[in-house]
Amino acid sequence: MADTNITQVNSPAVQSTNPFVLFFRRYGWGYAFVFPSFLAFAVFTFFPVIWAFIISFQDFRPRGGGSWVGLQNYIDAFTTQNGVFVEALQNTVIYAVVTVTANIFIGLFLASLLQPLSNKFQTFFRAAYYLPAVTSAVIIAVTWRWLFNTQWGFLNFLLGLVGAEPVRWLSDPDIALQSIILSTVFTIPAAGVVLFNAAMNSIPKDFYEAADLEGAGPLRKWWSITLPLIKSTTLYVVVLYTIASFEVFEKVYIMVPSGVGNSTQTIVTQIYQTVFSQFRYGVASAQAMVLFVIVVTFAVIQFRFFRTDVEY
Amino acid sequence: MSEETRKRLSRRKFVALTGGALVASGILAACGDNTATTAPATTAPAATTAASTTAAATTAATSTTAAATSAAATTAAGTTAAATTSAATTAAVTTSAASTGDFITSKSGYKGNLDYWALGYAAGGGNAFSKSSDSAVAAFMKANPDIKVTITGYTPDNAGFAKVVNAVQSGSGVDAFRIPNDSLPTLIQQGAIAPIDDYLTADDKNDILPNLFDLVKVNGKLYAWPLWVPPVGMYMNLDIFKEKGVDLPPKTWTYDDFVAIAKKLTFTRGSDKVYGFSALFDPGGVDSWPFILSDGALPLSSDNKKYTWNTADAYSGLKKVTDLALVHKVTPPDFGTQKQDDLLTAMKNKLQAMWTRPSGDAGTLTQAGLNIDIWPIPLGKSGKPISAGGVGLIAVTPNKDTAKQKAAMDLARYLTSPQVEQDVPGYYLAPGARKSVTVKAPYNKFADIAPNAWITPSIPQWTQIRTLIHPNIQNAVFGKMTPEQALSQPADEINKLLSQS
Repeated sequence: MADTNITQVNSPAVQSTNPFVLFFRRYGWGYAFVFPSFLAFAVFTFFPVIWAFIISFQDFRPRGGGSWVGLQNYIDAFTTQNGVFVEALQNTVIYAVVTVTANIFIGLFLASLLQPLSNKFQTFFRAAYYLPAVTSAVIIAVTWRWLFNTQWGFLNFLLGLVGAEPVRWLSDPDIALQSIILSTVFTIPAAGVVLFNAAMNSIPKDFYEAADLEGAGPLRKWWSITLPLIKSTTLYVVVLYTIASFEVFEKVYIMVPSGVGNSTQTIVTQIYQTVFSQFRYGVASAQAMVLFVIVVTFAVIQFRFFRTDVEY
Repeated sequence: MSEETRKRLSRRKFVALTGGALVASGILAACGDNTATTAPATTAPAATTAASTTAAATTAATSTTAAATSAAATTAAGTTAAATTSAATTAAVTTSAASTGDFITSKSGYKGNLDYWALGYAAGGGNAFSKSSDSAVAAFMKANPDIKVTITGYTPDNAGFAKVVNAVQSGSGVDAFRIPNDSLPTLIQQGAIAPIDDYLTADDKNDILPNLFDLVKVNGKLYAWPLWVPPVGMYMNLDIFKEKGVDLPPKTWTYDDFVAIAKKLTFTRGSDKVYGFSALFDPGGVDSWPFILSDGALPLSSDNKKYTWNTADAYSGLKKVTDLALVHKVTPPDFGTQKQDDLLTAMKNKLQAMWTRPSGDAGTLTQAGLNIDIWPIPLGKSGKPISAGGVGLIAVTPNKDTAKQKAAMDLARYLTSPQVEQDVPGYYLAPGARKSVTVKAPYNKFADIAPNAWITPSIPQWTQIRTLIHPNIQNAVFGKMTPEQALSQPADEINKLLSQS
C-alpha cells in the first residue's frame, strides 16, 4: 500500500505544476457529478436570462435583421398599449401582497394545528393538504372558473340560498382581480404547510418542556419558541410564494382568457401578450427584465427582514 | 505557502472563470448574427396552458377572428365596408368556374417528408375538420407516393397562433401552415414566408379572387395561398324561436327588429335562463364587430394610415352592442368575458337564441343535431348587412431545398383548390377564395354574407391595434366607459402606430 502511494507521488502526472491538472486531479470527480445539472441550469436558465437581457435592448427578430435600440424597449414597455404595463404592475403587486400574506398565515395556522398530532395523523393531513400541489394548475383554474360562473356557479348558488343577488365574479372589472386572489387564498398553500410542519417538528422538545415548567401556555410557546425558531423556513416560504405570485399567469389566463378590460392584467400575462400576440420580442424582454428586478428587490428585502442567526 | 499550492487553481477561482466564460459566450452569441434557430427566451410561460379548442368549426372561425388585411386598403376606398369586398367575393359566391386543371400531382421530384401545420386540427380525426384534413392529405400522398405529409394541429386562439408562429420563426419543423391574414405581415417582415409568385399559374391568377391577392402582397410579391373568407353571420337557434312562437325575421331586418326578437327570446325555462343573444369578445376576434360597423364606420381609413373609429357612426355602432347588455338586458350576465366553449355549449343546450360567429361553427352545431339557420347581420344606418371577417391562408416557409419548397407549394395549392372539395366533400368550412370553389351546406349560407364583410387589415401594426381596442370595447360593454370614450381614447396611439412605416 505504502509502495503504491510512493509510486503515485513520484509519477510524472502528480509532479505536474499545471494548475488545471492539479485542480482536476483534486476536484475533478466532484465537478463531474455536478456537471449535468450545471449544464442544464446554464442552457435552460442562465443563458436564456442573459439572452433575454440582451434582447431587451434590441429590435429583435428571430430570423435575423434586428438592431440595437438602446433603452427604447424599456420606454415602450411603460408607455405603449395605453400604459397597460403599469396597470399590470399594480395588479401584480396587489395580488402578491395579499396572496403571500394570506398563504403564510394559512400555512402557519394549519401547520400549527398539525404539530400536536401523532405522526400518523400528521402524515395523513400533510398528504391531504399537499393534494392541490400535485394537481395541475390548469385543472384548479378551470374548477375555480366553474365555481365563479355567474349563471350556474357554486358560489352564486350558495348566495342564492340566502336570497342574495348573483355576483359577476369574473366579469365585473371591479372585482375580477379580487376573485382571482380569492381563488388563490382558498387553495391551501401545500408547500407552506409541509415546510412549516417539518420545521416545527425539528424544534427540540426540550424547549417546550422548559417552557411548560415555566408555566407558559400554548399561545405563548407558539409565539416565543415556534415562530422564532422557524424563521429561516419562513424566509424560504415567503420568498418562494413571492416569486410565484409575481409570476402568476396560468390562473389568470385560464379564468379570464379574454381579459376583463385590463383589470386582470398581470406582469406575465402582459409579457405573454406582448410577445405572443404582438410579436414584440424586445419590449417583452424588457418587461421580463423589469419583473426580474422587482422579484430580486423583494427577495433581498425579505432576506434582510427575516434573516436569523439562530441555530439549534 | 508552497509553490504547488500557489499554482493550484482554487475552487472559487475556477467557478469565477467558468461563470465569466459562460457570460462571455452568452453575450458573444447574442451579439452575433441574429439567425438563431430558437425562439427568444423571455420569461413568458409556455403557451400550452391555453384554452382548449372546440371542434372543426372553429378552424374557419379563427381565420376570421384573427384577421388581417384590408381589402379596403388596396381596393378603391369605399365609404362602407360593404364596398370593399363585394365585387370579388360575390364572384366567389355566384361563380362556379371550371376547375383549373390538375392540382394534386406534384412535379417537384421531392422525396421525403413535409410538415403541415393546420389550424384546429386534432390528431386522429378528433373533429370534422381533422377528418377532412386527414382525407385531403391522404389523397395528396396517394397521388404523390414519394411525399409523406405529417399534420400538426394548433388551437385557434392566441396560444395556438403563438405556437405556429414560433415554430415558423425558429425555421424548422414547418413547411406549410394555415394562418389568418392578420398574422401574415409580421412573418413576412421576418423573412419567415416564401413568396408564391413563381408557383402561381395563369389559371390560379384568374381563379383566385383578385382582391385577396392584395391582402397577401408585400412589395409586389405574393406570400400565401388564399383558402377561404369566413365572415361573421347571425346563428339562429331555431328550436328556441319555435318554442316561443317567434317567426324568423326577413333577411333585411333592422337592429330594432333584432332587439325586439332578442327580448322575446330572453326568458326562464325551468331553472334555466335563456338569453336572446351573445357573442365572443376576444383580442383576436371580430365576432362582436359587425354591430359596431353597421352604421358605416370602419376602424381604419381605406389606406390604413388613419384610425377612423372615433366618429359618431362608430360610437352609435358600439352603443348598439352595449345597449344589448345595459339597456335591453338580452345577454347573459358574463357577456363580454364568455369563452368560446361556453358560448358553443349555450347554443347546443338551447340556452342562447342568437349568436354572431364566423362560419366554422355552423358545421359543429349542425353535426351536433342542432336546428340552426344563418341570417345576415341586422341593418344599420349604412343600409347594408355589414359583417366582419378575415381571410384564411396557407403559407409556405422558405427552404433552400428547392424541390422540397416546390412540393410544399404544391401541397398548399392543392389544399386551397376546388379539387380538394371534390376529393373530400365538405372540406371547405367557409366561402372559398377561388371562383371555382363551391361550398356545401351549412357553409353556403354564408355566401350572401361574405360580399359585405369588412376584412381585417393586413398590416404589421394590427396586432397592437386590436389589443388597444379590445379592452375598451369590453369596458364599454361593462358600462365602465361610454362608447365615445372607448373608441376615441386609443386614437392617438393607433395613429402613431399607423404613421410608422
